[in-house]
Amino acid sequence: MTTVERRITRLRTDFDRSFAQPQDSHDVEHVELLAVRAAGRPYALRLAQTAGLHPDRPVTPLPGPLPALLGLAGFVGAVVPVYDLAALLGHPAADRPRWLVMAAGTPLLALAFHDVDGHVRVAAEAIISEASGDGRRGVLRGMVALDGATRPIIDVPAARAVVHQMAGHAPGTEEGAAHDVR
Amino acid sequence: MAEARDPLRYFRIEARELVDQISAAVLDLDQEPGPDLVARLLRYAHTLKGAARVVKQTEIADRAHEFEDVLVPHRGSAVTQMPADEMRELLRLNDEIVQFVRALEHPPREKPAVEQIDDEVPAPRAATADLDELLDAVGEASARIAPLRDGSRTLAGIQRRVEAFSDRLRVARPGGDAGTRAAAQRLAGDMGALGRRLIDAVDQVERELDEVRGRAEGLRLVSAGTIFTALHRAVHDAADAEGKRVRFAAHGAETRLGPQVLNQVNGAFLHVVRNAVVHGIEPEAQRMAAGKPAEGSITVDVQRRGRWIHFRCTDDGRGFDLAALRRVAETRGLLPAGSEPDPQELIDLVLHGGISTSDAVTEVAGRGIGMDVARDVALQLGGTVNIKNWPGQGATVEISLPLTLLSMNGLIVEAGGTVVTMPLDAVRRCVRLPAEDVTTAAASGRFAHEGQVVPFLPLARSIAPAAPDRTGSGVAIVLSADDDTVAVGVDRLAGTTTLVARPLPDLAPAAAVIGGVAIDMDGNPRLVLDAHGLVAAALQDMSVAGSSPEPGPRLPILVVDDSLTTRMLERSILESAGYDVDLAASAEEGLERAHKRDYGLFLTDIDMPGMDGFGFVATTRADPALGHIPAILVSSRATAEDRRRGQEVGASAYVIKGEFNQEELLAHIRRLIL
Repeated sequence: MTTVERRITRLRTDFDRSFAQPQDSHDVEHVELLAVRAAGRPYALRLAQTAGLHPDRPVTPLPGPLPALLGLAGFVGAVVPVYDLAALLGHPAADRPRWLVMAAGTPLLALAFHDVDGHVRVAAEAIISEASGDGRRGVLRGMVALDGATRPIIDVPAARAVVHQMAGHAPGTEEGAAHDVR
Repeated sequence: MAEARDPLRYFRIEARELVDQISAAVLDLDQEPGPDLVARLLRYAHTLKGAARVVKQTEIADRAHEFEDVLVPHRGSAVTQMPADEMRELLRLNDEIVQFVRALEHPPREKPAVEQIDDEVPAPRAATADLDELLDAVGEASARIAPLRDGSRTLAGIQRRVEAFSDRLRVARPGGDAGTRAAAQRLAGDMGALGRRLIDAVDQVERELDEVRGRAEGLRLVSAGTIFTALHRAVHDAADAEGKRVRFAAHGAETRLGPQVLNQVNGAFLHVVRNAVVHGIEPEAQRMAAGKPAEGSITVDVQRRGRWIHFRCTDDGRGFDLAALRRVAETRGLLPAGSEPDPQELIDLVLHGGISTSDAVTEVAGRGIGMDVARDVALQLGGTVNIKNWPGQGATVEISLPLTLLSMNGLIVEAGGTVVTMPLDAVRRCVRLPAEDVTTAAASGRFAHEGQVVPFLPLARSIAPAAPDRTGSGVAIVLSADDDTVAVGVDRLAGTTTLVARPLPDLAPAAAVIGGVAIDMDGNPRLVLDAHGLVAAALQDMSVAGSSPEPGPRLPILVVDDSLTTRMLERSILESAGYDVDLAASAEEGLERAHKRDYGLFLTDIDMPGMDGFGFVATTRADPALGHIPAILVSSRATAEDRRRGQEVGASAYVIKGEFNQEELLAHIRRLIL
């Protein structure tokens, strides 16, 4: 095999592989974050722990025992329970949130919040980590400085765990939540 | 052309249909031979033979021909019974044809799977892929209509601007250029008319698409009747092998459910019906001696009640051998020696005690394996199995399953600003109510319907508690479930719809009145109410409205028990939960106390000297002054018979002392007196 041929082969393989690999694994030293507001307060979510962001999705209210459960939303034929992130964080009830973010993992779960401040990529060292959250029912894990202000990071798998507990969902079904934590 | 690429395309469809018809008719022939049936079978076989020849499927054509040969001698004659060997021959040919036709549908990869014939179960079918495509197309069509709706709104805007323009023309140049002004007015008028036509058309198309979508979703489900032929065949083959004569009947073919559920039930019921033939139905001589018809009978019923579907297999054989069951249960230590289990307890052991898996018991009690399969299927699908036994008369095995997808007709209603769907099959009547009737019914929790007072539940109270009370007129929907009739008040009716209801997703606990959810035209969830939940909520609402008109202090509880220990135990549980408690040591004393003070609840033992607990409950139920006070029976008697009696005399709950659980008791009490 000539040098040129080898080089072509390598280039082709690299090119093909670049499609096969997920974007975020290219670069471990950065983290994609979603800067959001719930009940007027700033927070951040790890994009890797979510599975889609949707504005103004109609939510059908569901009468029942959980005030944090805002209702049900339809996503391509699936019916997804929507929980109010502000309520999970322990904030008093505010207006109806306008944004939904799908939590990664199963069973299907969407979290609702009020505003999106932006989508940012920060260096991994900009995140102040925390072994286990205990504030706000353990939903928060770590902080990040963005635009001069520090935002608590909402850990989506932890929020999911709180929801599972509230809904009386049998444990052992959180494998989805577990392997999505990268 | 499709035929050129796949010459068998249409033959497969036709052959499948003919084979289904032949399989069912052959079994009927065994039960009710007649010239019509013979003629019909000959017609099917002949059609199949012709079609198979055209597409050069000689194996199928030859067997269809042999099939005809067997039948031809019987043509036109009034046969009373097909000779058994001929029946066998017909069934053999039928099976071979089925195999060949199936092989055409799923071309074998290695070699023809002849060995599989025995345990392969013909699965109920649903053309899922085609339906998905159809539903996608409907979704696409609705998406395309949305811009038309926007367009008509834009048109209305333009029309208003043209009107304004024509007004300006008039004001700016009075008297001048009347022609232009008239033209502008005409233009505005035409646009208005066009806009209205457009909106009407869009509305109608959307309604119709919604109907198409609902019906298509319903087609995803298959009818229960698709498993009847296989069950009939299993009964026939088992009877043939045992040398018995058994008549098979099936009801409820039109009940529709998901193909996976039906498939599993089919698998379990094949065992159940076979067992009924082998172990249930007695040999002819024994039947005659017992005064039964020589021919045994096995009936399969499929019935839907609310979100549950019940599959029942009833035979008129000897029933379960209770003595044998008891012997085995005792030798295996499942029953304490010398105890007196009642028959139902013994039968339940077959299902729950695990004795069914033992070979020894299988030989004696017989039905072990089938029951195991039935129990597993029910467990997997979240349902239950029940056996009823009438020694010497027969037995019924019933599998009850919750339905996941349910095709239904719904009544769309609006209450408290929320739109929900009510299952139409539970609705008996809708009555328009003037405003003051709505207020009266809501305040009293009662509604007069056909000379009867029924509980009235304002729906908004259950589904939109935050919505302000409405004062306008409304509609009372009278509905029935669980043999109870109640009325539900809504603000207005908004039409009917065909829909497929599915269960609520995980992580979405909801009020009991919500039965499930359907997806509307725009892909948004719409709640589907549960008739049983509505009835329960209305009954509870009435008892609340009846026993405590104003939310005053909680009424005391009367505990009736002849045992001092129990009285004290119950008093301490109730008092620590914040209730005021009075005690009575006998039913007679209880009745005396009940008349002296207003109670919120009676809690009574069953076994007492003098009047027993059943008597106490029955007496208070019949007393107009006490009948509204709920009563709970607390007893160490744990049999189904006692529970049933408790229910019959009118107890609201039955708590077993042996498994006495404070929380359970308090939960019952909270439910009953809030």
